[in-house]
Amino acid sequence: MRVNLIRPILIPFPLGIPGFFKTLVDHEVTVELKNDISIKGILKSVDQFLNIKLDDIQVVEELKYPHLSSVKNVFIRGSVVRYVHLPSAAVDTALLEDATRREAASQASKPR
Amino acid sequence: MENLSLQDLPPAGGPNHVQPALGGPPQLPPQMFTTAAQLLDLTDKKLLLVLRDGRKLIGVLRSWDQFANLVLQETIERIFVEDVYADIVRGIYLVRGENVLLLGEIDLDKDEYVPEPFRKVSAEEAHALKIKQTQDRKEPDKIRAKKLQELGFEAEHSGEILF
Amino acid sequence: MSFFGFDSSRGHPAHGPGFGTAPDAFASISQHRGTGQVDDDEGIDFDDTYDGLGDQLEEADDDFNDDTFGGGESKNEPVGKDFDFFGSTSKVTGAINEEAVRYNRQQPPPKTTVAHSSPPKQDSKPYRTGYEAYKNPSYIPELQVDPGLWGTGPAKPANDYGFQQSQQGEYGSGPSQQRSSGAAPKIMMSLEEVEAAMRAQAKKPTPISEPQQQTQAPPQFSIPQMQQQLPAITRDTHQQVTTPYSHAMAPQNMNAQHPAAPPDFGSGQIRIQQRPSQQPSHHKHRSSQILQNEPPTRANSTPQIAPNLQATAPQQILQRGQNMPHQAPDAQESPRPRQILQNPNRHSAQFGPRTDGAPPSAQIQQRGPVAVPNGTNPTPVIYHPSQIMNLPEEERRLYLEEEAKRAKRNHKIFLLSKGNGLMTPQDKNFITRIQLQQLMTATGNVNEPDPDASLSEDFYYQVYNQIENRPRQNPQQPLSNFAQTYLFRTGGRQGGMGRRYRGGDSHMQRMEQQVQRAVEAAKAKPKNKQLVIEGSLGKISFSNAKTPKPLLNIRRHDSSDFASRSSGKKPQVALSTTDRKAILKNIEAVYSTLMKMEDHDRRQPPPPTNESDTLSIQAAAEWQQTWKDLNEKLWTDLKVNEPIMPESASLHPFIAFLSYPKGKKAIPRIFNHIDENQRLTILTLVLIHLDIIDVVRLAQPQPHGSQPSLMAREQVDLFLQTVMPSLFSYVTEAPLVVVIGMLGLATERLNMSAVARTRVGLEMLTMVLSRAAIIRAVEAPEDEIWNQWLAVYNSFFDTIEPLLGEIFPASVNAGQDQYVWQFLAATGSGANPEQQQRLVLAVKDRVMETLQQSKTLPPEMASQRRGNVNLFMQAIGLDVDLLDG
Repeated sequence: MRVNLIRPILIPFPLGIPGFFKTLVDHEVTVELKNDISIKGILKSVDQFLNIKLDDIQVVEELKYPHLSSVKNVFIRGSVVRYVHLPSAAVDTALLEDATRREAASQASKPR
Repeated sequence: MENLSLQDLPPAGGPNHVQPALGGPPQLPPQMFTTAAQLLDLTDKKLLLVLRDGRKLIGVLRSWDQFANLVLQETIERIFVEDVYADIVRGIYLVRGENVLLLGEIDLDKDEYVPEPFRKVSAEEAHALKIKQTQDRKEPDKIRAKKLQELGFEAEHSGEILF
Repeated sequence: MSFFGFDSSRGHPAHGPGFGTAPDAFASISQHRGTGQVDDDEGIDFDDTYDGLGDQLEEADDDFNDDTFGGGESKNEPVGKDFDFFGSTSKVTGAINEEAVRYNRQQPPPKTTVAHSSPPKQDSKPYRTGYEAYKNPSYIPELQVDPGLWGTGPAKPANDYGFQQSQQGEYGSGPSQQRSSGAAPKIMMSLEEVEAAMRAQAKKPTPISEPQQQTQAPPQFSIPQMQQQLPAITRDTHQQVTTPYSHAMAPQNMNAQHPAAPPDFGSGQIRIQQRPSQQPSHHKHRSSQILQNEPPTRANSTPQIAPNLQATAPQQILQRGQNMPHQAPDAQESPRPRQILQNPNRHSAQFGPRTDGAPPSAQIQQRGPVAVPNGTNPTPVIYHPSQIMNLPEEERRLYLEEEAKRAKRNHKIFLLSKGNGLMTPQDKNFITRIQLQQLMTATGNVNEPDPDASLSEDFYYQVYNQIENRPRQNPQQPLSNFAQTYLFRTGGRQGGMGRRYRGGDSHMQRMEQQVQRAVEAAKAKPKNKQLVIEGSLGKISFSNAKTPKPLLNIRRHDSSDFASRSSGKKPQVALSTTDRKAILKNIEAVYSTLMKMEDHDRRQPPPPTNESDTLSIQAAAEWQQTWKDLNEKLWTDLKVNEPIMPESASLHPFIAFLSYPKGKKAIPRIFNHIDENQRLTILTLVLIHLDIIDVVRLAQPQPHGSQPSLMAREQVDLFLQTVMPSLFSYVTEAPLVVVIGMLGLATERLNMSAVARTRVGLEMLTMVLSRAAIIRAVEAPEDEIWNQWLAVYNSFFDTIEPLLGEIFPASVNAGQDQYVWQFLAATGSGANPEQQQRLVLAVKDRVMETLQQSKTLPPEMASQRRGNVNLFMQAIGLDVDLLDG
C-alpha cells in the first residue's frame, strides 16, 4: 500500500544508545562511514563506543574499495561512522521515543 | 547495564532488588558489547586494517587492549593506485586505536583475491603513482578548501584524509 | 608406551628388569644426546632437565641390547628388515606377565614423585607474562586455569597431586598405570602393522629409534592437553625427560615465529618438517596412524634417515621445537583461539574465558568433536585413502577439491598459528573486565534502589526484547508490565511491517462487524415492499429519468457553498511557528504525564484484603489520590477544555495536538487513563471539528482525480489506526442519547460536504449511524427517545442526500470504496422506505458500475466487491443477485 514503509530510517549516530543497537543484532544494516564507504552486513555487536562489528559484509561499490573484497567481517570504529541505515521494520519508533523521553527525564533529574 | 533484567515490581511497590541474568528477557552476555569481545574473535587472525590516513595494512592480529590499540605481526602495506596495487613488507606494527578506521577479517579462501582490473606491480612503481595522484589531487582540494573557508565553512574532515 | 602393541595397561614395569627396561634405556640415551644438544645450542643446562632417573635404571641385563636393537656403533651400518619382534615376543608373553606382577609387588611407588615438580618449574620462567598476579584464583574467579600449566600456583597443583596419589592408591599399579592412561587410547597399530609398514619403507630406519619415536610421538602429539595440563601424569623416565625438554623448547620457538627468526630455523626446513603435523588437529595425527596413509609419520622418521647421529640431534630438536609451539600455546595457554582458527565456521560467540573455565577433561572432549568434522570436512567421511577410489567420479572430484581447499586453508592457518597465544586468555579476560568495569561506572549501580531509574538506561533494549523475543527464555516469567503497556497499546503485534497495519485492520474488521450487525438489525424490519416488488418484477429501473437534474443542481450549489463557507467561516488552518512549538511542547507534556501514569499503574497496590488492614487501605487511598492528580494533570496538558471559538483564527489546541503524528499516537494511551466523561468530551471535540481536522481538511479529493498528498494519506492511515479505534470503542458502548447528540451536532455544525468526501468523515458518521441501528434492535428504546433520533436522522439525511454522488473516491477501478458502502449501509439501515428509494437513486450508477467491473476481476476480488455493494443492498432490503437476474 505504501511503498515508503521499506524506506530505511536514517538515524544520525549520536542519538543511538548502544542498547538500541543491541536490539538490531542479527539484522542487516548498512554502515556509512565518514569516508563515504557504505558497508552492508549483518550486525553482530556494538560496544559502548558504538564500535560496530558486521558479518558477511558487502561493499556497495566494490571496485572503489578493492581492499575489502577478501574481507568477510569487519570491526568498524565508532568514531568514523556517519550513518547507520536500519531496517525500519525492526525499529519500534513509539517505544524508541519513550525510551528517549525517559532518558531525557532521568538526565534532567540528576544533572551532572 | 545490560545484564539488568527487567522485573515486575512487587505489588507493594517497594524497593526491588534487580537480579541480573536470571529470568528476564533473553539476555545477550554483556561481554558481547565490549570492544574486547569484538576483538577477541579477531585475535590471531589475518586482518585487513584501514587507517584514518587511508593506509591499508594486512597482518596477523596478535594483541590489543581496551582502546583497540593493536599489535600486528607479519604486516604488509598494500597500496592501491588507479588499476594497480603493490605490497610493501612492514613487519611488526603497533597501531594506536584512534587511528583505526576499520578492521576486517580476511577470508582465508579468498586470501589472494584482488578484483579485476587491479594488477600487481612493484612497490616503487605503485609508490610513484601514488605520489603523483596525491599531488594531482592536492591542488583542486586546496582551492576548494580555500573557497569554502572564505564562505565560513570548514571541510568535513579537515586534518584527516579519509579514503 | 605401547610401541610393541602390548597392552601396557596390564602393568608393565617401567624400571623393572628384563624386557621392560629396554625402551627406557634407549629413551634415556636418546634424551642424553638430545638434551646435550640443547645445552649447547640453547643454553639449557642438561643437569636442569635431567631428573636423574636414568641413574636409577638397572644397567645389568642389557648386555645384549645392541644385538637386539642395533645400538651404539652399529647405527652406521645398514640394518636388515628381517626382524620379527612380534613373533619372538609372543613366545615370552607369559614370562613378561609374570615379571610384571612380581615387579608391581616389590616396586615402592614414591620414588618418582621427586621428578614431578621439576618439569613445571623449568618452563615457568620463559612464560612470565607480567600478569601472574591474576593467575591467582581469587583474582579472576571465573577463569580457573589449571595453574599446573604454568608451574606456579601452589594450591592447585597440590590438589592435582593429591588426586594423582589417590588414584595411585586406588589402582595400586604404580607408574605404568599412569603412563598407560595417557598412551593407551593411542594404540592403533599392532606390532605386525608397524613392522609391515617399516618393511614397506624404502629407507632403512634403525629399529631402535623407530619404535622410540613412535612411543614418543603419541603421547606428545596426540594428547598434548593431557600431558601438558597434568604434568604429574608423566611418570616413566621417558616422558619425564621429554616433557621438561619440550617445554623448555616452546618459548624459543615463539621467538622463532618472530620475523627476526634466527637463520638456523630455516623456513624451508620448518615447512618440510611441519607438513605432517600441520593439521592443527591432534586428532589428525592420530588418524594418520589409523590410516597408515602417510609413511609412518614422516616428520618422525626424518632424523633416523640421517646417517650421522650428530646431525640428527639438532634436527630432532628443531622438529620437536617446531611441533611444540603450535601445541604449547595451544594446550597450555589458549586452547580456544586455535580452535576458532581451525574452524572457519566457528561460532563467533565463542568466548575465551568460558572455555578456559572448563576442566581439562572437558577441553579434551570438546576438542575431539570439533576436530573430527573439520578434518574430514563436508562430503563423505574418508578414513582411508582407498575409500576415495571407491567414490563416484563426481563425488571424488568434489572431495578432492574440497580437500585441496581445506589443506590450503589449513596450511595458511598453520602458518598464522605459529605466533598464536601471544595474548593469553588472562590478558583477554583482563581487558574484558576493565571494559565491563567501565560500563558499570558509566551506567551506575546495578542494584540501584529504584528499578525504574536503572531501567531507563536500557529501556528500549529491555522492553523491546520482551515484546519481540518470544518464546522467551523463561516462560515462567510473566510478561513485564512495561512490555504489556507497549504490547497492548498497539493491540498485539508480530513485529515488523505487520504491526503498522494491524491496528488499522482490526479497526476495519470491527467497523465491518458493527455495520453488519446494523444491517442485520435493519433486515429484521418490515421489508420495503415496493422495492422488493420492483426487484422481483425484473431489474429495478435505475435508468429512469425521474430526478437526475435536480441532483446536479444541488451539487453545484453545494460546491460553491462549500467554497464560500470554508473561506469565510474557518480560516484557522495554518499554524505559526510559535504555535507549532507550543503544540509540540504540549504533546511532550502529555507524554511525560502519560508515562508517569503508566508507571503509577504498575505500582497499584493490591486491594485491601480485610477492613482492619488500615495500612493497605491507606496505601490504596494514596494511590487513588495520586492517580486523580495525574489524571487532572493529563487533562490540563491535553487542553481539551480550552474554549471553542468557531470564529477564532487559531485552531483549537486539542485539534492542533491531533494534527501531529505524535499526538495521534498518544490517543490510545490517553484513553486508558481517562474516565468515560473525558472520553465523551474528546469524542465530541473531535466531532465538532471534524470538518477542519487535518485528516479531513487535507484529504479532500483533488480536482482532476489526483490523489491527496502522500503526507495527508499517511496522516489519514495513522488516524484510522490510532484515534479511530479509541473513539470507536467508546461509541460501541454509547447510549442512544449520546448517539443522538452526536449526529445532531454533526448535522448542525459541520460542513457536511467536506466531511462526507473523506474517509475519516464517513467512518465517523458510519460509526454513529450503525450504533443507532444496533441500539434500536437490541435495546428497543422508548418511542419518545427514538423519535428524537428519527428527527435528527431525517435532518441528517436531507443534508447528506445531495452529496451522495460525490462521496465515492476516485475511480471505481481502485476498489477502495468499502468504507463508502459501509456508510451507505449504515445510512440505509436507519432509513424509511422513501429515504431508501432516494438512496438507491443517488448511488445506482455506482452500484451498476461496481457490479459490472467486478465481472472482469478474479473471483476473489469480484466477490469482495460484490460483497461491499451487497452490504448496502441488504441494508435496504435488496440483494445484488436480484440485479443479475
